Amino acid sequence: MNTCTDCKFYLPVDVFKGICKLSKKDILPGDLFCEKAERSPKCKFCSKFTPEKEFLGKCMAITLAYPDMNAASCVDFEWISQN
Amino acid sequence: MDNFSESINYYGHKPEEQVEDREKKLRPTERANNARELYFSAKSSISMEFPYWYTRRWEELEGDVTIIRRAESLKAGFEHLTPVIYPGELLTMGKACYLRGSYPMPWLSEAFFMAAEDKLYKEALESGKLTADTFTTVGKGGGNVTKSVGNVISIAGKFGLRVEEMPVMLEVAKKWKDRSVDDIGHKYEQLVPGYKEKEAIMRSVICMFDSGYTLPQGREVINYYYPLQYGIDGIISICEEGMNEVAGYPEMDRLYFYKSVIIMLQGIRSWIRNYAAEARFMASIEQDEKQKSEYLEMGLRLDHISSNPPRDFHDALQLLWIFHVGVLNEDAISGLSPGRVGQVLYPFWKRDMDKGFMDREKTIELLECMRIKFTEIDCFASMGVVGGVLSGNTFNNLCIGGLKKDGTSAANELEMLILETGISCETPQPTLSVLYDEKSPEEFLLKGIECTKAGAGYPAWVNNQVAMEFLLNNYGHEGMQLEEARAWAIGGCLESSPGSWMPLNLDGEIHWIPGGSAPATSVGVHFLSLPKILETVIFDGMDMRSGERIFPSHGYKLETFEELWQGFQDYFSRAVHVLTLTNNIQHDAWRKISPSLVNSMLKPDCLEVGRDIGQQGSRFNTTFNVESCGNTTLVNSLASLKKNVYEEKNFSLEAYRKAILENFGYHTAQETGSYSLVDQKPAEHYSEYRKIHRMSLDAPKFGNDDPYVDSIFKLWEDWFCEMTHNYRSLYDQPMYACQISVSTHGPMGAVTLATPDGRLSGTTFSDGSVSAYPGTDKHGPYALFSSATCWNHSQSQNSQLNMKIHPSVVKGREGSRKFLELIRAYMRKGGFHVQFNIVDSRMLKQAQEDPDKFRSLLVRVAGFTQYWVELGKQIQDEVIARTEYEEL
Repeated sequence: MNTCTDCKFYLPVDVFKGICKLSKKDILPGDLFCEKAERSPKCKFCSKFTPEKEFLGKCMAITLAYPDMNAASCVDFEWISQN
Repeated sequence: MDNFSESINYYGHKPEEQVEDREKKLRPTERANNARELYFSAKSSISMEFPYWYTRRWEELEGDVTIIRRAESLKAGFEHLTPVIYPGELLTMGKACYLRGSYPMPWLSEAFFMAAEDKLYKEALESGKLTADTFTTVGKGGGNVTKSVGNVISIAGKFGLRVEEMPVMLEVAKKWKDRSVDDIGHKYEQLVPGYKEKEAIMRSVICMFDSGYTLPQGREVINYYYPLQYGIDGIISICEEGMNEVAGYPEMDRLYFYKSVIIMLQGIRSWIRNYAAEARFMASIEQDEKQKSEYLEMGLRLDHISSNPPRDFHDALQLLWIFHVGVLNEDAISGLSPGRVGQVLYPFWKRDMDKGFMDREKTIELLECMRIKFTEIDCFASMGVVGGVLSGNTFNNLCIGGLKKDGTSAANELEMLILETGISCETPQPTLSVLYDEKSPEEFLLKGIECTKAGAGYPAWVNNQVAMEFLLNNYGHEGMQLEEARAWAIGGCLESSPGSWMPLNLDGEIHWIPGGSAPATSVGVHFLSLPKILETVIFDGMDMRSGERIFPSHGYKLETFEELWQGFQDYFSRAVHVLTLTNNIQHDAWRKISPSLVNSMLKPDCLEVGRDIGQQGSRFNTTFNVESCGNTTLVNSLASLKKNVYEEKNFSLEAYRKAILENFGYHTAQETGSYSLVDQKPAEHYSEYRKIHRMSLDAPKFGNDDPYVDSIFKLWEDWFCEMTHNYRSLYDQPMYACQISVSTHGPMGAVTLATPDGRLSGTTFSDGSVSAYPGTDKHGPYALFSSATCWNHSQSQNSQLNMKIHPSVVKGREGSRKFLELIRAYMRKGGFHVQFNIVDSRMLKQAQEDPDKFRSLLVRVAGFTQYWVELGKQIQDEVIARTEYEEL
């Protein structure tokens, strides 16, 4: 289930809330995707990320990584195919 | 409201009318107001992006030269920071991906943010590193995340972390176990003879904290010259030339330094360009044409300054901000002061004004935006540091006034606007300090008065000539002369810091701009609790709160005042000795494991000589000090014992010991829930101690121009300022005295039993260093000034005097003149610093009871301004208790 923090239009203000870059409205990290939402590059959407324990995983099978990390500037990021 | 005034200390009549608000009210621009409202809604938040990438890169480069690893790690951190641009911003970029964002730096220290049951945490507790945390109160309101809620975890009582990032924070922290500056420093500091005594000192909170891994940089003035003159690509070229000159020759560390600076700058360049790309993205989805155009302009500006020197004032201000944040992102830092920004930026601003590219309104809008950006800065540190020392503040002190290189007044029109925006856009940061000089123009000083009267606690008033004398005395042997001494500024809340004049070439004309030219000027022995040391003297080396022996028996019978004073000197010296050595080792670990690169690149003459600041690349390096806390409480206590025990023999020392242990028959501050003396409650056996308590309170008190107690103050100051020179810093330079309490008089008071001056257990000490104890200055401000200047302030890096004045006393133009004359009188007597709360104390009481109505209320603490709701209760109670002057 994708939430607003997974969206490329999410502007984080603090750990509790953010602003929608499109609507300019206050939103919460746990709010669900709206029809205009688009996924932001994150480790959990990367084909090179393998989940392990809760909130932890591996990058390219070797390096510690975590699913919610923003990967917009990661040179190795590759989208997983979306169902 | 009247019931509030019963527990407030007044000089003069008690105010009877309604609570009075401050006089001057100016509104910020709409843009700044919107930004400040967003700030008010934001909580302190941490993210793991930077530490994750830093650590990942560090591990990848196992075996490489340390400074190269450090540079590559910083680069990885910078280039992976998620850019966030808030609507309406004219200046952008920040420490992390939140408005009040920051992050852990486990390469410095990792134990304090581990879970309490973790082995690392328990070890830190045992060694005394975390004792101060236990006795610190953190503000319960404002932006502090004081408890865990839902998917947010509270850390150090202030910072929020998303639960999704908690496991990776712990995993990353564990990777630094036995590798961090804290752990390596701790491993080797134990080799210092007498090390166990150091741990006991820390557990008793005689010393507040170690500086080597908590806040290894800061309390200094940044230098923006190189980016403003050369731009990032220009600095890279300087480094490439440097590499060509030194590669293969002896002193090879220069090669690695230059290479490291290049790598680090590549990271900063990517960080800026990522923001430029984000600005273009924001523009692409923006419907509002004005906002879209501002995003596009921002993108172009960022692209330009990612390589080149600034073209105009706006570019220069943005670039200055980027490098300020750049330094803050390489270490946990408090007190990285921007210095004399109005003089640094003046050539750019004047040129734009002359050409018609800039006007007064645009300048005010930009300066207000600058105020908001500096206010957004948070520093992630332990509760003892962030609450007990910093009160959540980061001490970015902007200085105005002083002298130019040629000795004429440096005050300028841009600084007048900086003062104006300090009034219109009240925020804690940057705090302002007037470098008062007899040559400062009257109009400029009166503008400063107008700003101080507005009530945000700034500008503080600092004596230019006294500071220059201190600097020449302490840095003369490193080559400082009068002309260069004039380039000084305040680093942090109140640390006199060396500066240099740098030749900014703009259109072929040279402008000499001031900037910092030394590393952190306040590291070393950090906050020694003078009243607690006196307590151990009275109890022959024991901390009677915990029952632990701190020092070996001093062997004195304490039958004379001279013996008591000798005992104090002995224990104080023992503490300074062992703490100097252990802190030198910690700072050595810091410079070896985590050398500064961003700050080093900025500081003259690191680029010229090819050495970072840890290798003394800076022009000036006599920068370690010994900091005191509770001066006046100590001196009042000595005066009470001298009178009541040794001269008049009203009581035996044994009677005092018993009274101290029994808290003069009162409940403790922890029991009453207030840390102010006036709010304390007697217990059942109070009558047994009534007489000794009364006579202790009635003993001579500092702040009344009373030679009896002032002579003891001078005895302490003359000895303290001199003895610090006997200790050598890591850089083999003599140390010096530093006298500011910041917020430490709260937690240090909390662990100290009653004192012989009548102060009760757990209550705060006197604030600042030459402030009177609350309610004891009964003869007016000029008597207080005479006491405060009974010694030569240029012997010390600073002195600190905090005063509270009711708004009605300085009302109107006549009030302003009177106020300026008051300050001038203190400066002419040789006072180094004075700062004011212009406030009706009843309003503070009201704010304590109903904090939600006072979200924007600012108060001055001790060298800094902070939102009332973000202060811990210890400090709130102390500020309320300060004597309120109802007449001058």
